[in-house]
Amino acid sequence: MTTEFIIWFDPEKCTQCYGCEVACRSWRALDRGVRFRKVLNVWRGDFPRVKNHSVAMGCLHCVEPACVAACPEEAIHKRETDGLVRVDEGLCIGCQACWDACLYKIPQFGPKGTMQKCDLCFDQVGREEGPPCVATCPGKALSLIGVSAGEKLEHQKAILALLGERPSRRGSVAQ
Amino acid sequence: MNYQQAKKVAKRAGENVIPTVCGMCGPGGPGGGCGVYAFVKNGRFVKVAGMDESPVNRGALCAKGHAAPQWVYSPDRLTHPLRRIGRKGEGTFEKVTWEDAIAQIAERLQLQKREYGPRSLAMLSPAKRSYSDYIVRFLTVHGSPNYGHSGICAVQRAFAFMYTLGDWPKPDYGGSDLILYWGRQPIYSGPVARPAKALLAAKQRGARIVAIKPSVEPDVGMADIWVPVRPGTDTALALALLHVVIKEDLLDHAFIDRWCSGFQRLKTHVKPFAPVWAEKITGVPAGQIKDVARMYATTEQAAIDLGNGVEHTPSSNDAIRSVAILMAITGHLDRPGTNLFVPSPEKNPRKITLKERITQEMVDNLVGPEFPKPFQPFIEGTSSAYYRILESVLTEQPYPVRTIIAPGTQALVSTRGSKNVAAALKKLDFFVVADVARTADLPYADIVLPLATSYEVNHPFQRVPGWLMATNKVIEPVHSPKSIFDFFLDLGVAMGYEGDFWGGDLEAAMDDQLEPMGLTMEELRRNPTGVSDSRKPTVYEKYETVFNRSSPRLSGEPFLPNGRVAIYNSTFEKEGFNPLPQWREPPESTTGTPALLAGYPLILSDYHTSRNFSASWQRNVPRLREIQLHPMLHIHPQTAGERGIRDGDWVKVVSPHGWIKVKAEIYPGIRPDTVMLLHGWWQGCKELGIEDYPLLDGGANVNVMYSVEAQKAYDPLITAMASQTLVEVTKVQKQAGNP
Repeated sequence: MTTEFIIWFDPEKCTQCYGCEVACRSWRALDRGVRFRKVLNVWRGDFPRVKNHSVAMGCLHCVEPACVAACPEEAIHKRETDGLVRVDEGLCIGCQACWDACLYKIPQFGPKGTMQKCDLCFDQVGREEGPPCVATCPGKALSLIGVSAGEKLEHQKAILALLGERPSRRGSVAQ
Repeated sequence: MNYQQAKKVAKRAGENVIPTVCGMCGPGGPGGGCGVYAFVKNGRFVKVAGMDESPVNRGALCAKGHAAPQWVYSPDRLTHPLRRIGRKGEGTFEKVTWEDAIAQIAERLQLQKREYGPRSLAMLSPAKRSYSDYIVRFLTVHGSPNYGHSGICAVQRAFAFMYTLGDWPKPDYGGSDLILYWGRQPIYSGPVARPAKALLAAKQRGARIVAIKPSVEPDVGMADIWVPVRPGTDTALALALLHVVIKEDLLDHAFIDRWCSGFQRLKTHVKPFAPVWAEKITGVPAGQIKDVARMYATTEQAAIDLGNGVEHTPSSNDAIRSVAILMAITGHLDRPGTNLFVPSPEKNPRKITLKERITQEMVDNLVGPEFPKPFQPFIEGTSSAYYRILESVLTEQPYPVRTIIAPGTQALVSTRGSKNVAAALKKLDFFVVADVARTADLPYADIVLPLATSYEVNHPFQRVPGWLMATNKVIEPVHSPKSIFDFFLDLGVAMGYEGDFWGGDLEAAMDDQLEPMGLTMEELRRNPTGVSDSRKPTVYEKYETVFNRSSPRLSGEPFLPNGRVAIYNSTFEKEGFNPLPQWREPPESTTGTPALLAGYPLILSDYHTSRNFSASWQRNVPRLREIQLHPMLHIHPQTAGERGIRDGDWVKVVSPHGWIKVKAEIYPGIRPDTVMLLHGWWQGCKELGIEDYPLLDGGANVNVMYSVEAQKAYDPLITAMASQTLVEVTKVQKQAGNP
């Protein structure tokens, strides 16, 4: 059985500090506006019984990735060995069909117009020390782990539920 | 990561790694002093990781910490010492050398000292910084008492707590079953430091969390109960809590009998402050006030984390001491899981403020005492309120300050009454700005000194409880090689004060301070990840010692006149202040000035902290600015809907004192009668093409909105300037000239 790698998110441990988002942007030297990890604030209920919670959202490397299916150029692939979903920027034509297909609105399009997203830092120098988003989290809400396909599917569902129907303006998944 | 890992990562990437202390939220300040690994590629500072070995952050790091390289290389950095050649406020300068600039400041200070006395000099204090003591030292050597403290943060709580309990008791986060976060932001004030992690840990072990504040921030989302109090009404809430616990006899009588003074008078005094009375003022339902009072009083291991939010209103002192009294009479002091009297570490660096040189004459010479003169000096020495120093320039009462030095602070956005501040800076004889980057006040400066950041110098040492660490130079200075520490030493020498400024030798200054720690700066530096202290075992119920502590007043009289909790405060009474806590309305409020509601139906207040900026700094850092591009006014969906305001619209916010133009954020988690925004907005971000905002009306500087009327806007004992007013919010119609 394939081990599916993922950066697991535990909402109970997130304080919405944005450390992960900025650590990633700095370590990966991402272009302006490009975010591999996005911190979202989600509202539930109405005053005075209103609550909020946080989601630190990055690519989940889905078990059955909608982006892979949607790409007309076959530029996105899911690697069998570790479940990693990767984009070949050389093949990408920047049509953004993957963005339309992704339930989590993960794909990013920088100045070059081709799709970029979280790759679990698997090809990065220093990957043994773990991704910077994981390392920097004060509550240890993020962890890079290998899980079964079933466990990952459950987590995909859980994240979708966390995103809710009313994310805040900044946190809007459509942003 | 740890040092070994950091070295490995650096090696593989062809980089160097330097262990040091983060400089982004002001090392030495609250929440500051995190250990970091700074990575350098080809001489350029490129990225940062949190240091596992630091007991402050344990490997974690916040958004600000990670954005440090962009801050260091910002086009907004000051590059040359400057001297004004145009009119004040115009911002026309010529370049001068550092030595010339220092010589000119010294010449002016010497002249003014002869002509007007040393009190003619004031220095404005930033938030607590690792160089704060150098400011105090310079002033004391010069002979001026006018250390310009904000009047809105931390020492306000210290004052009320110490004159009620003898100490400021800290919540025992690790042992509480119930924590009340009151006017407190445990996450943004140091997201990777202890309080934020303690909140998470408390939550995970099942402690109940109560959040008392006007709007929902991430910490409120984690709380079990939200008490949505109207801004500036915490005193009324605290008095009602006292009313409930006394009426329902939820008290620790043994503690009251043995350790409290004046309880019977309090009992009579709080009778009118029933929850229904407080509901009208605070907007908190009476039932919820009762619930919170009962929950706190009947939970043995319960603590209160009282935050800066209670220090911004004219009744602040009474809010804080009501809370202090509540802790005392319900038996929640210095026992496991409650609020503890935390002793200072056994060994500390030598204090350099020269407090033994403070004289009664200096106290008498305060231009605008932050605390009334009978209570000076307080823990940081003598202090004038920041705003009152500037006001003296305009009113010339009791005398005009002639020179103001602003080291790492921006008067136009950091204190209230920005219009008066602008007028004062225009009128002021001599104004010196020393900073790493462009500040709001810069156009008014006579002399501007560009400073190196802490990533560009080899000092100071950083002391946070439990850890001592050397700041290590990460890169060669991008612009000025001089730090704020060099500034004080160089100016000290130029003034002829070299005997008190280590002959201008910074290494000697560091070694002198470190001497009680048993090592030199050089020796400290040989410990790449600093030196950690062992923790002393906790001793509880230290009432005998703490209640008899002497105060910093020249007389050395104890804080508490008879070794007991001062419920009835005879010390305050003797100087003409309320012996028992009273409710006092903000200058404008729903219940205090109902006539204003027709034109200004909403309450405005501002946030003190944010996840991505340090006070009014760092709006110029792209990776931080991209988290929040523009100032956002939090407005309830219903309140916005009634005004035809949609999410992201530019809105005009008008108070009786001024107006600002900001963006609306439809925010379900705020009281419908209240709107709030972050303070400190003025600076643009060149990399993102965002221009500066105007500093006064029409900009985004919330400080133009508030009253600064002396009789209404300050707490009479602890200054605490109001940050509440009434406003109307309207949508800005799109037209030429509008965004």
